Amino acid sequence: MSDRSIIHIDMDAFYASVEQRDFPEYRNKPLVVGGDPDHRGVVATCSYEARKFGIHSAMACATAKRKCPQAIFVRPRFQIYREISLQIQDILRKYTNIIEPLALDEAFLDVTEEIARAGSSMLIAKDIRQRIKRETRLTASAGVSYNKFLAKIASDRGKPDGLFYISSKEGLAFVKKLTICEFFGVGPATEEKMQGLGIYTGADLATWELEALQPIFGKSAQYYYNASRGIDTRAVEAGRLRKSVGTEDTFEVDLHFQDEMLKVFETQCIELEQQLKKFGGLGKTVTIKVKFSDFTQVTRSYSTKTGFRDAKSIIAVIPPLLENAVVKNLPVRLLGVSISNLVLDSEAIEDDQMPLW
Amino acid sequence: MKFSIQREELLKPVQLIVGAVERRQTMPILSNFLLRNVNGHLVITATDLELEVSATIDINPEGGSITIPGRKLLDICKSLQEGSDIQFSCSGEKVEIKSAKSRFSLATLAANEFPLVDEIAVDQTIAIDKHQLHSLIEDTSFAMAQQDVRYYLNGLMMEAEGGKLRTVATDGHRLSMAETNLDSSVPDRQVIVPKKAVQEFMRILSASNGNVDLAFSQNHLQANFGDIRFVTKLIDGKFPDYQRVVPEGHQYIASIEREILRSCLMRASILSNEKYRGVCLGFSENLLKIQAHNPEQEEAEEELDISYSGPELEIGFNVNYLVDVLNTIKSNEVHFYLQDTNSSLLIVCPEMENRKYVVMPMRL
Repeated sequence: MSDRSIIHIDMDAFYASVEQRDFPEYRNKPLVVGGDPDHRGVVATCSYEARKFGIHSAMACATAKRKCPQAIFVRPRFQIYREISLQIQDILRKYTNIIEPLALDEAFLDVTEEIARAGSSMLIAKDIRQRIKRETRLTASAGVSYNKFLAKIASDRGKPDGLFYISSKEGLAFVKKLTICEFFGVGPATEEKMQGLGIYTGADLATWELEALQPIFGKSAQYYYNASRGIDTRAVEAGRLRKSVGTEDTFEVDLHFQDEMLKVFETQCIELEQQLKKFGGLGKTVTIKVKFSDFTQVTRSYSTKTGFRDAKSIIAVIPPLLENAVVKNLPVRLLGVSISNLVLDSEAIEDDQMPLW
Repeated sequence: MKFSIQREELLKPVQLIVGAVERRQTMPILSNFLLRNVNGHLVITATDLELEVSATIDINPEGGSITIPGRKLLDICKSLQEGSDIQFSCSGEKVEIKSAKSRFSLATLAANEFPLVDEIAVDQTIAIDKHQLHSLIEDTSFAMAQQDVRYYLNGLMMEAEGGKLRTVATDGHRLSMAETNLDSSVPDRQVIVPKKAVQEFMRILSASNGNVDLAFSQNHLQANFGDIRFVTKLIDGKFPDYQRVVPEGHQYIASIEREILRSCLMRASILSNEKYRGVCLGFSENLLKIQAHNPEQEEAEEELDISYSGPELEIGFNVNYLVDVLNTIKSNEVHFYLQDTNSSLLIVCPEMENRKYVVMPMRL
């Protein structure tokens, strides 16, 4: 694909900013949105004031509290965040229809076709940021570049409340300077693997040939090979649908018995039914996740042709999955269930077999 | 072990028990038959660890037990000339089979490693006529699930209740149910027989005569048919509440000629979606219209005269589920009990009301 004009919009500390917007008493203070710090919650998002204390997403709330005892801890209000997310998507749609939401608080836009009308991708990004701020009283950072990978890197450079542009001339030089964990898709595990190979920066990665990466990284090898050369051929997938709906719970007290676990799943399935209703379709695969007290986890899944749309049909397949998932004689700290292989009702083949039970 | 036997005496029992042997094994010994001398008779046994089938043959072999590759023995036996005599002898690691000028030397495995089911603790027996039992199973087993994660559906539910013996099978979308009165009253009991055992059981039933004694223990079902003994593990699970899904108050009845309906459905199904098999049944005054279409927008339409006076109704079904039922029912006429587009369909045959078939619709 020839060069595109891609914008990555990323809300700044989204959940925390929403809370600070709605509750003036939280403003200019270290604020953590997430679970209960006295139990096992984790940080979902924290305000920039809290980040100064070394708090970051996915950290245990208890740790966050140790780092910053004066921090304010609040529970997330997902319903509100979802509404704001829809509001932001409405704004983005005024600029282009090629929008790929990645989460409630970020999205890619392909504005290549809009440039003739709007002047430049920078002008569009600038306008989007102003409009988001005006209409939601929240700040967004924007990254502009010629592919998704670099647009995302750019928005990160702009944070908070900034705009950053990486031109096609600068792209390669930029990538070389990146540390490996800044590459989209590189988590702690891959980072460690790469460091084991002596790969610390984009420049290091660029010295590797595709054939050498392939046996180590499999399917992702091509992506890493390209990315380290400033190339990313992934298109912005407009209307990219949700791939799954799911829910999970970490328990205050570990569970020992399968009948207790099934009760939890029953409640979770009711929530899944709601999520499926909101999605407007059904899913063909049920996956359960069981995390043991030693933090190892097991997933088991089951698919049908006809799919699952209500709690009753989902819960019906869980007992045997659970039976297979409990591979250790250890108490269980987390249970989750998700539905994937989603099919929208509107696009499902009309036929849909109803179950007896 | 050493014995001599006429080909036909061996072939028939071997054909009956060989079904227990899985084609692919995890344990090599499971592809073998066990041959042993029990009280002066030759007993041949096949097993897959779940299902064990033994045949007793009226000859008195000399020497200790042996094992022989089961399917090879069957193939050899089949290919020998009719009426020929076969001599078995065993020396060391090999079993020798001779007949006229043919000679085979087969590998054997230690007989003491053959996994026989322990003596089962029978706590209930039911005596039933072979034909009745065969009909119960034949009329219901087609609806069993295939490798469903709801493992308790991958089998046939057999139930003694209130002086009746009942079989029920369901894959969660359709259900079949058959019952017959028992001559003597027995305690209520419900078991689930695994699918493979059901299929082998049918084969053996068709080939044997007389009455059958079904014997139950906590985990096993055992059946003795004269010379054949059949033991299967039961599925340890709770069968769903089938009574709840057999509709009772459906108001509208369509009376339809079975064979005509079956042919119409078969023709229409040519143009139904290969994967989903949906057809639409439109009921109106004395008329049934069947429509099918596929993703290529091709269409089939069939009309047939029926006897129906209910409101106009359109219901979608997986055509395979309907055809399965129509293939099973033997009468000229079938009755469809209907309620609305989203309710189940109950199919009964007026001459045999102790057979019931429930099919859930498809959303069309």
